[in-house]
Amino acid sequence: MILDSLGVGLVGSTTRVFDIALRYCRELYPSVAVSSVYGKPGVKLSPTLAAFTNGVATHSMDFDDTWHPATHPSGAVLPALLAASQMLPPNTKPNGLDFLLAFNVGLEVQGRLMHFSTEAHDIPKRFHPPSVVGTLGSAAAAAKLLSLSSAQCCHALGIAASLAGAPMANAATQAKPLHVGNATRLGLEAALLAARGMEANPLILDDIPGCSGFSAFYSVYQPKPLPAPGQHHEFLLEKQDIAFKRFPAHLGMHWVVDAALSVRNLFINYAGSFSPSLIRRIVLKIPVSKYINRPFPSSEHQARHSFQFNACAALLDGEVGLGSFSESSIQRQELRELLDKVVVEHPEDNVANFDKMYGEVALLLHTGDVLTGKCDTFYGHWRKPLSKESLLKKFRSNASHVLPEEKIEAIIALVDNLEDLSDSSQLACSL
Amino acid sequence: MGAGSYEQYVQVTENFAKVIHGLNANQLTDQVIQRSKRMILDTLGVGLLGTSTEVCQKVARYSKIYSSDSSSTIWGHLDFRLPPLYAAFVNGVAVHSMDFDDTWHPATHPSGAVLPAVIALSEAFPQKKTISGLDLLLAFNVGIEVQGRLLHFSREARNIPKRFHPPAVVGTMGSAAACAKLLALDQLGCKNALAIAASYAGAPLANAATQIKPLHVGNAAKHGLEAACLALQGLQGNKQILDMESGMGAFYTDYNPQTLPALQSYPWLLDQQDVAIKCFPAHLATHWVADAATSVRRKLVGSSENLIPLDKIEKVILKVPEVKYVNRPSPASEHEARHSLQFVACSALLDGSVSVQSFSSENVHRPALWGLLCKTQLEHPADNPPSFDSLYCEVSVTLRDGSTISDRCTTFYGHWRKPLQKEDLEKKFQSNALGILPAEAVEGIIETVYNLEKVEDCSVLSTFLSGQSARALPEKLRFL
Repeated sequence: MILDSLGVGLVGSTTRVFDIALRYCRELYPSVAVSSVYGKPGVKLSPTLAAFTNGVATHSMDFDDTWHPATHPSGAVLPALLAASQMLPPNTKPNGLDFLLAFNVGLEVQGRLMHFSTEAHDIPKRFHPPSVVGTLGSAAAAAKLLSLSSAQCCHALGIAASLAGAPMANAATQAKPLHVGNATRLGLEAALLAARGMEANPLILDDIPGCSGFSAFYSVYQPKPLPAPGQHHEFLLEKQDIAFKRFPAHLGMHWVVDAALSVRNLFINYAGSFSPSLIRRIVLKIPVSKYINRPFPSSEHQARHSFQFNACAALLDGEVGLGSFSESSIQRQELRELLDKVVVEHPEDNVANFDKMYGEVALLLHTGDVLTGKCDTFYGHWRKPLSKESLLKKFRSNASHVLPEEKIEAIIALVDNLEDLSDSSQLACSL
Repeated sequence: MGAGSYEQYVQVTENFAKVIHGLNANQLTDQVIQRSKRMILDTLGVGLLGTSTEVCQKVARYSKIYSSDSSSTIWGHLDFRLPPLYAAFVNGVAVHSMDFDDTWHPATHPSGAVLPAVIALSEAFPQKKTISGLDLLLAFNVGIEVQGRLLHFSREARNIPKRFHPPAVVGTMGSAAACAKLLALDQLGCKNALAIAASYAGAPLANAATQIKPLHVGNAAKHGLEAACLALQGLQGNKQILDMESGMGAFYTDYNPQTLPALQSYPWLLDQQDVAIKCFPAHLATHWVADAATSVRRKLVGSSENLIPLDKIEKVILKVPEVKYVNRPSPASEHEARHSLQFVACSALLDGSVSVQSFSSENVHRPALWGLLCKTQLEHPADNPPSFDSLYCEVSVTLRDGSTISDRCTTFYGHWRKPLQKEDLEKKFQSNALGILPAEAVEGIIETVYNLEKVEDCSVLSTFLSGQSARALPEKLRFL
């Protein structure tokens, strides 16, 4: 997860949204600059702003990891930890194992919080999960790395709750990456404030009728205490793996793309080549989710959140990658023509849930023949995880946009041996 | 243009951007200007006093780590400055640190979310432009207006909140709008400022009555400013953020956005609905209780020098609306005490008045007070709605001999139905500011605010706020 997240952040540092965030931070806060920015070896920012910038980079292309229940866990935690590790004085630097532990505390808190609401199991509608649980996860991770007392950890969570929550409507816009940037940054701020003695409501995660705490973000909320520390703790990550994306778009797109690729092969066998003129209609069978159902996306952000676009790009090109979302690719005439032929259906058995959904693409030909491709589990999903080679390939490809080969291999080595590292801030310095 | 299914929306967001962008100073009415000035003066005083609180000191210490190319004033401090974002944050925290700032209907604390942001921004203009008092007044009112209009989009907002703390929701949006106005963003920029701000909005109510609550206002100011600055850099969000249920609607269970009135002779909400200004630093609901309790005390013992007969009191009943987060029978901290109907009632009964000192540590932990608290109960009559426009408080003291003395307050002095007189507003400001600023700066602020629309360069206000006196800057005190 750490490796993938770093790679995704590195390639993300080439995006426009990242550019804006970086310019903003550099113009306003040049001093106390101790924390590194992905892909910019000469640049340092203050810790929370470095976390913000790197968090934005991580989610800038929707290329980062996704969990179940749904959120983007690593982007909310890793940048804060990297920034914080550089902030600490030389004789108190956390080692690699401390870092790994703090990272997992951040993930675990996010997962546990999501389990408090049945609503969280489905693709979100109201608040964007990274901005809700991600902020608290970041606070918890930072609190852990900074060795806050138990009371301070409690307050860090409470402070973070007052910094959480961004509405779904900004998904599929340029502002969406800020949700992860802010989650990681504000969580770090919460921990820093708690470290300085700030206090919040110690019952923030409890359900108090008439006066909402964390429950404000859900319509159904049933918190449960975690197993006591000291005994063997079963991390959720143990039981439930992460999905890694193969191309930079919303997770839901991955099912539809795999289904489209499979039907494309059938079509090529049938017709000899991919000839769009033979296609009368394209039927997509997808779950109901408003923010990823976009028949004619007009920006890269919208395109990453469009079942229709991703299906057609896969059909046309035989693959979906970074280049699929460029302006010229989105505006292509042949793509627009293909989009015109698409209709969507929402079968009842196709639930808006990343554990249960499927994608089906049917080509209805003028001849009357119907070719279908279906995908239950795409390659990269937790049920069919990326191999080590595929993961490294993705990392190298991403990182090569901004770093030279030696640096890329150095990062791979650092992450691979993280638990043996005596000074984990080396990781941040290597970016 | 965007996915076809969104055409059905009324384009409220677009409309807001148009209005924010289009409103101009000629449209400010006298009443609006007068009321604004009262709000500005009161807010500054409350903020200055607030710089002495523990929460504010922690926050200032934290924010200092970002000092650099700092350019904005921290109210009450000549010794250091901060970048505008953190100045807005720290000053916003100061304003709400004691729950002493203004309250509106529908409920929110409007000025604290906006004033710190516009003042900080005015000092740090990217092009080193001069901002006039009128520019500041206009931006301030744009920020207030947007908050009020958003609150009208939900029936839920008419009552005292339960889920999200309103300043964190609408306050962030108001700050973004105000800053967008001051930065003279074009309509698209205003729209994006609102969209970006929405992703920072919202804090749960459970942090009220804790040390964090003041940060809700500080963060509203800071994040609204940040949103406007990001919009200035070209960042884009959802252009229908105010229209969608998954946009601003995420914060409410019933949400019905409407377009604003046309720009021609624009009807400002502040013209129709004034704010309440507090007489003592505690949650607004406690003000009704204090009035009623003070009056009951007078009936019991006449003047305030006499002690009330504590051992003769059997019980104290408060007939109040049902508002969970101000129902605290045994508050343990100053923050809880400010959010305790019981505490304020007992303080008023004991002392004959409630003031800043009532919430000091010694007073919060007085044995006499605790004795009285133990005898205090709440009742929630069905005809007492949890709305700042229609609630009442009745205090009844039953003595051991069976007799009962009671009184009811429907409108306390300072409420919008019974606004503070000019002298009393000034007295509050002076009392708050004199501990922090020299007398000339205090008088300088009063004079500047009262003449705000004529002030050529509003940085004179910031100069006074940092503690410099009038003698230091004769040129700056130029009025048009």
